[in-house]
Amino acid sequence: MVLDPAHGGTDQGARGTEGISESDEVLQFATATKRALEAQGFQVILTREGNDNPSFDDRSARANAQRGAVFITMHIASTGLTGTARVYVEPDAPQANNITGLIPWDRAQAPFLSLSRKLGELVQQELSKRFKGSPDTLQTAPVRQLRTTAAPAIAVEISSVAVKERAELDRMVPGVAEAIARGLTDFRPTYVVPSIPVPGGSVQP
Amino acid sequence: MSPKWTVWLGGVLLAAVIAAALYFPALRRQVDKAKDLTEKTAEQARRELLPVTPVSTGDPMVKVKMFWGSRGQEGELLPVIVELPLSRDPALRAKQVLNTLLAGPVDAESRTLPPDAALLAFYILPDGTAIADFSDEVRTSIPSGIQSEQLAVESILRTLEDNVPQVLRLKILIHGQEADTLAGHVDLTQLFRVNAKDAAGTQLDNPSPPGSKLPAPIRRAVDSMRRATKR
Repeated sequence: MVLDPAHGGTDQGARGTEGISESDEVLQFATATKRALEAQGFQVILTREGNDNPSFDDRSARANAQRGAVFITMHIASTGLTGTARVYVEPDAPQANNITGLIPWDRAQAPFLSLSRKLGELVQQELSKRFKGSPDTLQTAPVRQLRTTAAPAIAVEISSVAVKERAELDRMVPGVAEAIARGLTDFRPTYVVPSIPVPGGSVQP
Repeated sequence: MSPKWTVWLGGVLLAAVIAAALYFPALRRQVDKAKDLTEKTAEQARRELLPVTPVSTGDPMVKVKMFWGSRGQEGELLPVIVELPLSRDPALRAKQVLNTLLAGPVDAESRTLPPDAALLAFYILPDGTAIADFSDEVRTSIPSGIQSEQLAVESILRTLEDNVPQVLRLKILIHGQEADTLAGHVDLTQLFRVNAKDAAGTQLDNPSPPGSKLPAPIRRAVDSMRRATKR
């Protein structure tokens, strides 16, 4: 399980009242989610644990290097109804013609889209139970980190850094962590790593 | 030196230190203000050098659909009918509708793009691929987030789809350069499908004929885009 707290380093992401920055807050959300997932028996890697800013490709590479991984990138918006959370997956994209049996890096997400949607629906259901005003359905958006990830991958965006006080965001931390852990627990039995077709009709497991 | 003069000299020095302590913060503010003014003036000067989209009085008035944000439905776009004099030339027409989109709706809260962002250039290649080059403000002034960036891109795509059918897919550049993302979230490295007729999706199998007259930075961006899609 690879959790990606977005931004970091000189890229603070969205900035709000009381000096709230997306890069700091999202690390707090990711750390709490890691604990909740570990309590459910998942092995969890964070793409950053401090105030550094790995490249988009480095973040994807953490998931692509593991077999059977799941990738969740976490964000806090500067807009939207405060106290809500949305899940995004990549929009439909044509799969590359596969002549080598390898997945092209820049379209790595394509073979995993249906699994990403399944995971996204489960996590969104859990989030909308806990955070009133959150959408019931999954959203699609071409989020950069998702495209190069060869694993079921979703983005979770929380609203927002525009809260009146930091405590409003802090109160959301346990609910978000619990929702992701629950969604992932429900997803686990359905997760079968897709086979990659190779020339000659065989498949690469 | 007599003690009386020492006291006087000390007093004068103390007064000078106090005056400097009061004056320096004000001086610093003035220097910062002057720096901002210089930067703005440079940006304005650059924009003034760009060719202005000609508005021909002979263009017919056309009812067009502009897609701005919906106040009632968070994260959704709402079509608004506006009457504009529109050119029949597709590239010119695209510039006119995008400039109207950037100028924004009457209700400022329904904006999808920052008020200080500008469209620097717009080209349509013979294969229906269009290139829109926006100023830096489209990245630096937009509220950061997946939802806000997605809404900004969608408003551009849907406005073009509805008003310029010749545009099948769109590449967004920022200040003549390819950008990884709009403001940290939405991926700008790919071509966006504008028109449902673009059955080929994001594939660029039919490159435009050699000799298409594009400025060098845009040409380089298009070439790199083609290399990326052929990988």
